[in-house]
Formats: sequence, structure tokens, C-alpha cells
Amino acid sequence: MIVEHLELVDFRNYVTGSFDLHSGTTLVIGDNGQGKTNLAEALAFLATLSSFRSAPTEALIRAGSAAAIIRATVRQDDGRETLIEVELATPGRNRVQVNRQKLARVRDLLGAVRVTVFSPDDLILVKGGPGDRRRFMDDTLVALATKYDNVRLEIDRIVRQRNTLLKQAGGRLTDEIEVTLDVWDAKFAEIADQFGYARATLVARLNPMVHEAYEQLAGVPTPLELQYEPAWRSSGLVAALAAARQLDVRRGVSTVGPHRDELSMTINGLPSRTHASQGEQRTLALALRLAGHRLVTERTGGAPVLVLDDVLSELDDHRATALLDHLPAGQVVITTASELPPAAHADHVLRVVAGNVSQD
Amino acid sequence: MAGNYTAPVQVLIDELGRLPGIGPKSAQRIAFHLLKVPTEDATRLAFAITDAKARVRFCERCFNVSEGALCPICNDDARDTSKVCVVEESRDIVAIEKTGEFRGRYHVLLGAMSPLEGIGPEQLKIRELIARIEPEGIEEIILCTNPNTEGEVTAMYLARLLKPIGLTVTRIASGLPVGGDLEYADELTLGRALEGRRTVD
Ligand SMILES: [Zn+2]
Repeated sequence: MIVEHLELVDFRNYVTGSFDLHSGTTLVIGDNGQGKTNLAEALAFLATLSSFRSAPTEALIRAGSAAAIIRATVRQDDGRETLIEVELATPGRNRVQVNRQKLARVRDLLGAVRVTVFSPDDLILVKGGPGDRRRFMDDTLVALATKYDNVRLEIDRIVRQRNTLLKQAGGRLTDEIEVTLDVWDAKFAEIADQFGYARATLVARLNPMVHEAYEQLAGVPTPLELQYEPAWRSSGLVAALAAARQLDVRRGVSTVGPHRDELSMTINGLPSRTHASQGEQRTLALALRLAGHRLVTERTGGAPVLVLDDVLSELDDHRATALLDHLPAGQVVITTASELPPAAHADHVLRVVAGNVSQD
Repeated sequence: MAGNYTAPVQVLIDELGRLPGIGPKSAQRIAFHLLKVPTEDATRLAFAITDAKARVRFCERCFNVSEGALCPICNDDARDTSKVCVVEESRDIVAIEKTGEFRGRYHVLLGAMSPLEGIGPEQLKIRELIARIEPEGIEEIILCTNPNTEGEVTAMYLARLLKPIGLTVTRIASGLPVGGDLEYADELTLGRALEGRRTVD
């Protein structure tokens, strides 16, 4: 799958922007604040229906405009062309058209366009909290199979329902609360046990890929491991929730479950969040993204668009060159404030100045 | 929240905004639409609301909407009294009736378990359902709550409550659009789901 053309209207700082993207590597050059990251953000929005910068919808609409439009011409692997149009208005009123047909739900677009973004913010995959790493696992699962989007939403909903019930209990475990909790727990476990299995399988598959990507970037063999082993998975969630029930009622929150899981990562046997150098952490974050990208490529039979947003300046020369030497096959968009290092080559160069695009 | 419009308009917007599924934006749109339509159209809507509210109540037996003490289904002697289909809302009865697959009676819970909306088993017409079993000679209870999280949890709760009483408890077959409402399922799909109902273990 390739995004051949991207058009932006009133998106961030673009009044209108038109980008011809090519099947190989497109280099987007622009000084900071000129709008090159907004291009990456628009591409990623098509894939996840959210901003990878965690910006609210309002922030994506150019100041003074009622709505923003992202319009993309996508060429599928079988040669079919799809026109995707996303209109961003106030929250809840976004609209999506595919080949001029309005989709019933905006989320039905998931799976139509796959994009992997690596940006400097991805350092939080290593340095951030467990929630940032859960989001990485779950985003990757959704890229592998869109059904996980519903699973994730349902788990969120059950946790909110269960927490509300626990607060209503007011610290007292009456018979009525017990019986009601029993059914919420049964429903929670039915979905969470499957989701935990999906996450564990994902991590098992990612492990060798992260390892390989890290080694390619660092240039030296490095013992590295991802571990996803929540205690509740050994007994099943129903048993774990039963064991935690007294505590949950006392605290008024669900203390056990997939919403509390951690994906731990070690380099040389030491936790990378606290014990790795800044350089190692950046390399690991990039290795995670590249591994996710490779897994999605292998499992879905088509490479997502790989967007490297302003990351070359963050890597040392050695690692930047290693990254460019080992770019996966498929469409790649690289945004940068400076020219590419001499070792690398771009099939196509776009220059962005104040939301205006020109082609070399 | 302080309104930006002259008082009567703001009251109208606020009232509309309290309706299910109507956000502030929609409430505003509907309010200004109503202000534009001819007076008799607005009056007709207002009358329809007060008239329905005055004349319609809940069936004393099954909590379906009804003009009399009992709804037309409960009043129909040709109905099979040994089977009861449990639904969340009266509108689900309409959907199931359209399939022509069910000739028993109904029981409307008036909602589904949802702590976020302050609804637990106590707030639903569950005690009233239990009270019907003996006098009506109910042998099978079919759980037709919506195929979404809250509907599934409510069905589980009822199954655990009803099984020990010793009657047959069934759940409509899956195959309905997950996460959806019964009322959105087409007649054929809903009919098949009813026919393919399975005993809950
Ligand atoms: Zn009735």
C-alpha cells in the first residue's frame, strides 16, 4: 500500500498543501516550525484517527477555520486506487469518505491505511510510564487486526464501569455488590484473558525483531529483552480479581488487569527505563518502532508507510547511517531540517516553507 | 452553565440537551429548527409529547408501554404463556415482533446494568420478573438483552439468578452485530438469533 498523493486543507499551518509522495523514499526538508511534522501527523492520522502528538482535534484545525481536511490517494497492492477524505471538525463530528462514500462510523476507516511513525517523542516508549508501553503494544495489535480496537475500547469501558461500581460500594462488600461484581468480573475476564494472550503473543514475536533492529543500529551485539508477564495471566483474571477484591473495594479502583500491565525492557539485564544511557534509550525506542513495522509488514502482507519524523538529528552519525542503510522495503517519508547525510539517498525531495511545498 | 441566548431559547436548548443521544450542538440545531417551523408544527410536537405522557404508561405485568393496565400482548389469549422474552426496552419488543418468530410474552427490564448510569439490578424490573414465574407457569426465559457489554453483563446476572430456580434459561444466539442494539438488527438476523438460542450453562 502506498500513499501517492496527500492534500491538506486548513490542517495545522497549511491553508492548502499538496504532496506527491513516491513509492521509494521521499525526503521532506524544512526548517523547524514550517510544517513538515504536520505532514507526518496528517499521514499518521489516516492510520490511527488520532494525532501521534496526542493533540486534540481542535489543535489540528487551522486557527480561524471551521474544519480541516486530509485527502489521500492510496494505491493498494493489487493496483486499486482509493480516495480517502477525512474532515476534522469539532470532536464527535469528524467525517470520513472512502471513494466519495461516507462511512457510517469514523472508526471504520481503521485498517485502510497503515502508517508507522517514529518521532523524537517516541523516547517515552522507554522513559515514559507503563501506559505509554501499553499503548505501543495495543496500537501494534490494532495495526495487525482492527478488531483489537473494539477489544481495547470494551476493556476501557468495563474498567470504568467496574471502578464506578467499586466507588458506589463505599468500602463495604455487601452480598448485592458481591453478586454484581461477580458478573462484571466474569465479563472482564472473558475479554481480558484473550487480550492478555494477544499481547503476550505479540511480545514473543517482537522480541527477536527488536533485538535484531537494535543490533543493526548499534553495530554491536547487545543482550536485550522485552518481558510481558503480568501475574494475573498465570491464574486467569477471574481468580486474580477475586484475590484482589477486598483491596479493590477498599481503594475503590480495579488494581488488577490489562489496564495495569507493564511491558518491561532490559538492556544487559538492567531495566532500560532507569539504567540505560540516553543514546541506548533512543536506539531502543527506534528498534521498537522498526520491529513493530516489520511485524505488521510480515503479518499483513504489505508494508505500512514508514514516517521518520525529524529523528536523524537525534541520532549520532553512526546510528543515523545505520538506520538509512537498513531502511525496510516500502514507502518511506523522512522529514528533516537539514539535507540527508551523504551516505543516504532520496528518490524525491520536497521542501516546505511556511506551509508551502515545492519539489526539487 | 450560563447560556448565551435569551432565556426561553436557552431553556429549550437545555431541555433538548437532556435527551439521550442529543449533545449540546444537536440541541442547539433542533432548538433553532423548532423556532423556524410554523407554530402549528411546534404545537403538534408539544401536544404529542404531553398526550403520550398522559395516556401511555407501563404494562402492570411486563412493563411494555401500554394504554391500559395491560399491554396488547399481555391481553392476547393466543400467546404462549410458558415462554418469556426478557428485553431492555419496549422498542426491542417491536423489533422481535417483526420477526414473527416469537409467540410468547415479554418482560421489559427498563434498562441494563450500568454503574456509570447508576443502574444496578435494584433499578431494573428483575424482582417483578421473578414474581411472574410461579403464577404464570413460566418454563423458559429467553434473555434478549443487547449484544453489548452492559447487555451481556445483565444477561449473565439474570442467568445466575434464574438457573437455580430450575427453569430453562436461554440466550439469543450470537451473530448479531456485536456492540450494537437489538433494534438495529434486521428482522432476518434477529429471527435467526432467536431460533438459534442456546441454553445458558
Ligand atoms: Zn404486558
